[in-house]
Amino acid sequence: MALSVDQFRKHAEKIESEVSKVIVGQNEVVRHVLVSILAGGHVLLEGVPGLGKTMLIRTLGEALDLKFSRIQFTPDLMPADILGTEILTDQDGRRDFRFRPGPLFANLVLADEINRATPKTQSALLEAMQEGSVTVAQQTYRLDEPFFVMATQNPLEMEGTYPLPEAQLDRFFFKVNVNMPNVAEMVEIMDRTTGKETAAAGKAASGADIVKMRELARGVPIASHVKDFVARLVLATHPDDSNASPLAKKYVRYGVSPRGAQALSLGAKVTALFNGRFNVSFDDIKAIAPAALRHRLLLNFDGLADGVKTDDVISELLTAIPVQA
Amino acid sequence: MQMVTISDLTHTLNLWTRRLRLQRALLWALRGFVVGLVLSLALGSLGLYEARLLRNEFLLLILALSLLTPLLFGLTAYFWRIHPLTAARRFDLLFHLEERVSTALELTRHPDHVPPEILSLQLADAVTASKKVNPSRALPLGLSLREGLVALLFVGLIGLVWLQGETWFAAARQARAVQQAVEAQAAQIEELIQKIEANENLTEAQKQELTEPLKEAQQALQDNPSLESSVSVLTSTGEKLQALSDPQSQAMSEALQETGNQLSKQEGSPLQSVGQELAQGNAVNAANELANLNVSELSSSEQAQLADQLDALAQSLQSTDPQLASQLSQAAEALRNGDPAAAQQALSESAQSLAQTGQQIASSQVASQAASQMQQGAGQVIAAGGGQQQQASQSGQGNQPGQGQGPGQGSNQSSQTAGAGGSGSGSGSSTGTNPDGSEAGSDPIAQNNGPGDGGVSSYEQIFAPQLLGGEGGPQVNLPGSDQPGGDVIGQGPTSPGEPGTSTVPYNEVYAQYEQINNQAIESGDIPTQFMQIIKNYFDSLKP
Repeated sequence: MALSVDQFRKHAEKIESEVSKVIVGQNEVVRHVLVSILAGGHVLLEGVPGLGKTMLIRTLGEALDLKFSRIQFTPDLMPADILGTEILTDQDGRRDFRFRPGPLFANLVLADEINRATPKTQSALLEAMQEGSVTVAQQTYRLDEPFFVMATQNPLEMEGTYPLPEAQLDRFFFKVNVNMPNVAEMVEIMDRTTGKETAAAGKAASGADIVKMRELARGVPIASHVKDFVARLVLATHPDDSNASPLAKKYVRYGVSPRGAQALSLGAKVTALFNGRFNVSFDDIKAIAPAALRHRLLLNFDGLADGVKTDDVISELLTAIPVQA
Repeated sequence: MQMVTISDLTHTLNLWTRRLRLQRALLWALRGFVVGLVLSLALGSLGLYEARLLRNEFLLLILALSLLTPLLFGLTAYFWRIHPLTAARRFDLLFHLEERVSTALELTRHPDHVPPEILSLQLADAVTASKKVNPSRALPLGLSLREGLVALLFVGLIGLVWLQGETWFAAARQARAVQQAVEAQAAQIEELIQKIEANENLTEAQKQELTEPLKEAQQALQDNPSLESSVSVLTSTGEKLQALSDPQSQAMSEALQETGNQLSKQEGSPLQSVGQELAQGNAVNAANELANLNVSELSSSEQAQLADQLDALAQSLQSTDPQLASQLSQAAEALRNGDPAAAQQALSESAQSLAQTGQQIASSQVASQAASQMQQGAGQVIAAGGGQQQQASQSGQGNQPGQGQGPGQGSNQSSQTAGAGGSGSGSGSSTGTNPDGSEAGSDPIAQNNGPGDGGVSSYEQIFAPQLLGGEGGPQVNLPGSDQPGGDVIGQGPTSPGEPGTSTVPYNEVYAQYEQINNQAIESGDIPTQFMQIIKNYFDSLKP
């Protein structure tokens, strides 16, 4: 039975409410992560250590009543450690290789500090994230639905990190920046975490609910001129495009791929439902544009040398591109 | 829950669209007003610059453009096609509807692309949101301050032109008067041509000779109706026609008329009918009467009376037409000698000569009248061009157009400007009352000065200016004048020069003339429209 829009909103509000019992502030981060989950995408959270990235993902896992697994990425982590491996078994005198699934076989996978692993191990996630399956020893195994990868990473400037390959980055639906909490939030965090009782999130939605919510979100209509705006926005991130902003022309090496447009469109649909609407507005697009595009823009040497942020380029494009052609 | 249909949404959309049209119409009407003002100012200024626009026409132009363009712009803006979907998108942005209306409208056009539940929800959501909109806030019906200020600026500029542009309007009035005068002259020439062609007293050759310069003038006026050109054409045509007139024809005509009067009084005489025709100035008919006279039918006493009358007639025509007088005398002599055949032959020859004389008189009279009309026309054109000063100064050369009855002509422009001796002929009645009339040769000779004692006739004047620029101008003493301090400004042969040539190289006197010209222009005495012509003339003379 299909979910109604009201039910969608109720589920979404309940998830946020449960998460907020544990996570102080970070409303936008929570919203973006939730949007990503309901859109069927994977999320990359970036922030310095100690901001609650792992806690957020773990809390979401609790609230969603999904099979949760956590992988702590380290430099010596091998692909087989996360995918699983075939082991030799002895059953009734008959020796055979049997596949033992790795931690990737869950609904919600927390890839903690993903950029601490080597690119080889990072790339092991590619098939799982894109196809929802894992291939080991020429045997392909389907992952259960829903399947989400919630990765966290430390800023690249930190020691002992390996930047994610572009192809890997592109497979993340959103890249969400986790910022420092303000004073009030900091006080609240201290209160909640240093007392006798620790807060815990209750179950707010099941895996089946998430699948239904995702289906409903995909049915939200987008007007043609809004789609046109998305296309123009994505194309304008390319420095050779006629609508490219000055920053994009000067500092961008590669613009956003069509996956970026898909992420914008799908994310905006979920955002519209969150906002109680049945259609996508320009504001929905603008609200999620940084999270959907920032990791898909590759800056050139000048951009990196001048300390330009991809968010600056996106912000300029959002101002420069007219909503109506 | 009440079922919401697309008509609920389109009804609201139509209301908003109507308001949007009104807003656009107001905005564009004001813009049209500004465009109208700019256009009228530009066209008006051009018209004034070219001296074509009268004050009332300027006003009419401004009123027409500043009323028509707002109307045109406003109506165009109101009825400009607005696509409903485009309008919906615009309203979404204007009323912060977050694309509800445009999406709903789009979905209703493609209902297969979306589940019915989503469609009905979207429609209901759009209608609910649209009902909360106050269109008068986002679509106010008012005039734009910026356009209003621009309009005020141009109204001020037009007002400035209106109040301060009297010089331009005056120039336009003069230009229009010249145009009308030239057209009137063209019409008059056409009338003259028709009269000449209908004149039975003229031969075909005479008609062609008389109409040719008139037709050329007509064409020239049509090709270039400017003041200078028109005056030049009319004057030169007058000169050509004047050259076709015989100076003695007037005296001849009067002599024939006088004789005709005397003959017509002699009741029962053979030449009474001839006299009557001559008295009426119809020499050709008189010649026919004379040719029809049969001498053999007359009694001897009548023949004697006829001989006497022929003698008298010959005597009166002796000075003006000796050949005719001789033929008449021969006829009289033949009658006295009792030779009717010879008398009849001589009378026939006399009739032929008389007819030719009549034709010459008629042609000359027509040419003279036409020349006079041309000169009058030139004067009228000059007067229409505001040429009071010009006219007055021309009278200093004995050329008072419009008053003189005889031909008046002269090199009234270049010779006057250059201060050189020009020649002019005329019989104007001006008595030199204008300021420039004190110049030598300005007094017309209003006495009998021509052959035949015929009264006022043409004469040749000698123009010798003493005061350039009229009273108050610099004193110029020409060489050979009897004025004290008369400097010799040129050295050359003492014999008179060829007519129309100078004995002083003009490059030596050019600077002096140019200075005088500049002074005259700066004095403001020269009408505006002639300043450029004069400047061009002097520029062309520059050595």
